[in-house]
Amino acid sequence: MNRIGRAGVLVTLGISVARLVWSGQFGWFVQQRMRWPLVAAAVALLVLGAVEVTAAARQERRDPASARRAAGPTVGWLLGLPLLVVVAVAPTSLGAAAAARAAGYVPSDPRSGFQPLPDEGPVPLTLFEFLNRAVADDQRSLDGVEVELTGIVVHDPALPAGADFALTRFLVSCCAADAIPLQVAVRGAGAPYPDDTWVRVRAVWRPSATPYTELVRPWWVEADAVSVEIVADPPASPYESPY
Amino acid sequence: MPLALAALSRGRVAWADGDDVRLWSTLFVSVCVQALPFLVLGVVLSGIIAAFVSPELVQRVVPRRPFLAVPAAGVAGVALPGCECGSVPIAGSLIAAGTPPAAALTFLLAAPAINPVVLAATAVAFPNDPRMVAARLLASFVTAVAVGSWWARRGDSTLLASLRHAGHDGDGAARWARAVDAASRDLVHAGGWLVVGAMAAATIQLLVPRSVLDAVAGNEVLAVAALAVLAVLLSICSEADAFVMVGLPQFSLTSRLVFLVVGPVIDLKLIAMQSGILGRAFTVRFAPLCFAVAVLSAVVVGQVVL
Repeated sequence: MNRIGRAGVLVTLGISVARLVWSGQFGWFVQQRMRWPLVAAAVALLVLGAVEVTAAARQERRDPASARRAAGPTVGWLLGLPLLVVVAVAPTSLGAAAAARAAGYVPSDPRSGFQPLPDEGPVPLTLFEFLNRAVADDQRSLDGVEVELTGIVVHDPALPAGADFALTRFLVSCCAADAIPLQVAVRGAGAPYPDDTWVRVRAVWRPSATPYTELVRPWWVEADAVSVEIVADPPASPYESPY
Repeated sequence: MPLALAALSRGRVAWADGDDVRLWSTLFVSVCVQALPFLVLGVVLSGIIAAFVSPELVQRVVPRRPFLAVPAAGVAGVALPGCECGSVPIAGSLIAAGTPPAAALTFLLAAPAINPVVLAATAVAFPNDPRMVAARLLASFVTAVAVGSWWARRGDSTLLASLRHAGHDGDGAARWARAVDAASRDLVHAGGWLVVGAMAAATIQLLVPRSVLDAVAGNEVLAVAALAVLAVLLSICSEADAFVMVGLPQFSLTSRLVFLVVGPVIDLKLIAMQSGILGRAFTVRFAPLCFAVAVLSAVVVGQVVL
């Protein structure tokens, strides 16, 4: 890789990162809090690239032979590969296919310290919060409370009998490669919904007859739907964050 | 992790189809996007070090004796909050600027493992086991200092001889030009290898069968070995690895501590980046050393603290 090629890689990379942030598509790959670090990285890449383009052009005028000498390793061209993959394969946010290949989130052992929920429902909760309260809250704060959960529809052959779909969202702490599916088996959904449909479900937790700790994995946290509504605009971040 | 523990989960086996290619692409691109800001920060700092930090300055600031310099470098790792991708070019330029390799390598190992962001993430992930944070801090620090001390005594200095210094003469403008040149060179260098590591990590995430893990969780020795190897293969950021371990409650706390201590010091993408920046001959010796010391340190600390 010579100096001109190197400058080209820097500029291309800077523009692609800026586009990823501008379009909001970065949220398919990483958490929302990476927005400003990515903007800073794009700016730094563009500044580096601009300085390098100028320097390479000057060098080309003065001493064309030296401008063509190696200024970076061949492996550096691979930096173009993620861009190529984004254009050619058009990956999107994680969906039913990813959930099917993965083991779901299992909350830790029972503990106290959960804040009481408001009496007036429906209470909007993240799936992360819902699962934690269902499994780990020794005060059983979810008992009889109507909650509002948002996620995608996933049909899993391992769903318990009587459940219509697994309401699913992914817990992502850094990037999609560390995603853990958060899943609640929903009963009484009424109409059928295809995989990967974004829905808002109002539901009530259906406690397990056997304590969760005594169940054989994989087991499910279940909920009885009050209403299911298709969400036209998916949330800005398709993922939940543990923080 | 679930993604991580892909293929045979819930009894389903899928051969590569359109879904798999898309999933692989999402995983691959997300590892690259996540690492890029840290890499850019790392190469900008390394460029500045390369152009402005002279061997004379290093000699004034870094303690001469390794038994002081190595722990000091370990503590200095706290100052770089982030994942491991940025620390590789920084370590390279520190060595090129005349820092004793043992101290620079200690910094390389400590920075991604012992910083406030990573420790806070660990505390959030293990609300019922607050000792996990202390155990992680201690085991990672011991690993970094032990590897650094070993390198100070036994390390082969010729392995890092290829890291040449750019020179320090010239006025301010010339130095900035050199900083930009060094940062650009490191970026395409480390970045190219980062892409190699990301491809490997995405592939492994789709291939590791979960059933194998369930089978070994009951045996403590096998559990430690399995999670140590998994940490290397999965190449998850140090900020995220604790949450991945929450997904494996069937494993003992000690074996999960091993995962948290091994991952930040050695994994596929670090091996790729280190062999690119610090040299293949160096990495061939350094990586197994880090792996062995990290496993040992985590097991001992796990027995005592957890």
